Amino acid sequence: MTLQDATYSSGTDDSPLGPRTGLSRSRFFLSNEFGLILLIAIFAIIFGFATKGFFSPFNLFALGRNSAVNIMIGLSMMSVIVTGGLNLAVGAMGVCAAMVCGWMIESLGIPWPLAIAGGLAFGALLGWINGWTVVRTGLHSFIITLATMSIFFGVMIFLTKAEAFRELPPVFTEFGRARVLGYVSPLLLVTLVVAVLLAWLYRGTVLGREMLAAGASPAAAELSGIRVGRMVILCHMLSGALAGIAALMLVARNGAAIPSMAGQLGQDWLLPAFLGPVLGGTLLQGGKVSVLGTVLGAFLVTMLTSGLLMLQIGAFWVQSFLGLMLLVAVLLDKARRSYLARRNLA
Amino acid sequence: MKTLNRSVAAIALLCAGVTAAGAADDSTLALVPGGPHPYFAAWEQAGLDAAADLGLGEATYKIPQKWELAQQNQLLESLLSQGYNGFLIFPGDPVGAVSTAEELAGFGAPVIAGAGCYKDPSPAAFCLGTDTGKSAYLGAKELIKAMGDGEKRIVHFTGFLVDPNTQLRIDAVVQAAEEEGATVVQVIADIDAPEPAEEKINAYLAAHADEVDGIIATAWVPAVVAANALRRMGDDRIHMVGIDHDEAVINAIKDGVIDGTMIQNPYGQGYIGAYALDKLRSGCTVKDDAPFGSNALTTKFIDSGTAYVDASNADSYLDTMRAETDKILADFDATYLNCE
Repeated sequence: MTLQDATYSSGTDDSPLGPRTGLSRSRFFLSNEFGLILLIAIFAIIFGFATKGFFSPFNLFALGRNSAVNIMIGLSMMSVIVTGGLNLAVGAMGVCAAMVCGWMIESLGIPWPLAIAGGLAFGALLGWINGWTVVRTGLHSFIITLATMSIFFGVMIFLTKAEAFRELPPVFTEFGRARVLGYVSPLLLVTLVVAVLLAWLYRGTVLGREMLAAGASPAAAELSGIRVGRMVILCHMLSGALAGIAALMLVARNGAAIPSMAGQLGQDWLLPAFLGPVLGGTLLQGGKVSVLGTVLGAFLVTMLTSGLLMLQIGAFWVQSFLGLMLLVAVLLDKARRSYLARRNLA
Repeated sequence: MKTLNRSVAAIALLCAGVTAAGAADDSTLALVPGGPHPYFAAWEQAGLDAAADLGLGEATYKIPQKWELAQQNQLLESLLSQGYNGFLIFPGDPVGAVSTAEELAGFGAPVIAGAGCYKDPSPAAFCLGTDTGKSAYLGAKELIKAMGDGEKRIVHFTGFLVDPNTQLRIDAVVQAAEEEGATVVQVIADIDAPEPAEEKINAYLAAHADEVDGIIATAWVPAVVAANALRRMGDDRIHMVGIDHDEAVINAIKDGVIDGTMIQNPYGQGYIGAYALDKLRSGCTVKDDAPFGSNALTTKFIDSGTAYVDASNADSYLDTMRAETDKILADFDATYLNCE
């Protein structure tokens, strides 16, 4: 296992840049994370030279703020991919959590810290519904979350009548617009703290290991005494809470809890949700997770979006380019794994 | 049409004593709608014309790739980083978009809301748009008049619920119906895009055509889809008043398929918006006692004009809007601005 990856199947603890073997070093240079760091550096140089204002303090601040949300969305998806599942309801769950937070503040008069906790708990509750349904029915989470995406979003629209909660305390917008050291968004700091906690969860706790084991081989995990169903439910709950954090970041960004903040049915979050983990090297089959890779992948996507917008190549091409990136990333990952397997490096 | 628009606007500016020499060639303005939509297409030419007529550095139409607040925010952030220094914006959300507008204004870039308003308080100098409530109200009144005696059951097809104008339109149609003894039997919203509009309008008319006597459409795409549906149905019992000037709607009026449409003035919004942004950049300020109108969102509203077009004036509707643009521009400075 590397610093970047948490993999249940590997029992070693070799550091990627440690002095132990040339093997670990070559593995690092073949890793997704190294590739992403390289791409980020290359594109940063290109955009820095080719555009006006890419490295301006405001653009760096905006880049960090947008990255914070995209990374969190990617982490939310990643926490379900760990089990070999998918969470198509990530956007719907996030928006529902944010709307509950807004409702608690505006309609119930609950203090905002408690409302935030309530919103996140509601996100986790929606995750529990997903996880429980997946476990009880035995159906793939793709089907379940496809259905719950519509259910959650539809009920939310019915209850709120598509009205936003706009009378939120100024602390939300102040937090969304604050700058640390001139160009760092506090939202990015929140995301990085969450990412570190997740890395610790998967690398340093029994619970995280059991989640990975349940995803790597449910049958083997079951035989080892791990309650696989419970792990699946917990992963979905974690995903719901993380989606809630992402949506609350958008609330801070906009100063309002808006039903359309993730698009119709929350579908606008799906592409960034997949791009981060897939670019980062998280296996869609489950059992392996890369928190750092997801962070870097989501950051790269956000940076490319920002750079392409600044290059003025046409806003409509940005979405096509991101879709192409997802496809290329999957193919490159397949090629990389084949190469590692041939060289006995995997 | 666009050339004529440009010429008329330029003449109006000259009449007002405004010349390109008074404009700032370092004004790099962006005209940003909430997302892709045919209504805003006129902003592109308006920006180009304003830049040429007023000697601006640039007045460019920039479209977010989707009708989504996050996409609009990201585009605006990018434009600010690129050095754009004045913004005419259709707010993606009347409250949610204020935060970004404040950031733009914080960098000294004047902001004007166009076609839709920010909810007060906001840093927008003012909101330049159609009085959507008034337009929908007048349109509904015209529809009810066209329906004549007998039962008056109206279905209302309208735009995105996230559009700040939509609720104003819904309320206005209900008010007009109540005043005239008509009934709004159904409001179908969130259909200002081809796919949902085709699906929902056609499904509704297939199932309930005999239960309605009139259609009012208060968004561009639903107006086009409903006009086409009535043409296909060949049902002259159902009356309809649409909105905007899509060719399908104007032709439907000329052919007697529908009764009329409420036109708006998107070109005028783009042109006047760019003109005002440049003025604000040049040091002018908004008068405290300017005779702004008000709506549910703001008390700093300028009506860019609306008018009813039926078969009698379907060929000359552009003249009406040109006249409205000229009228606003002719005394714009004296009415709304303090310029040293």
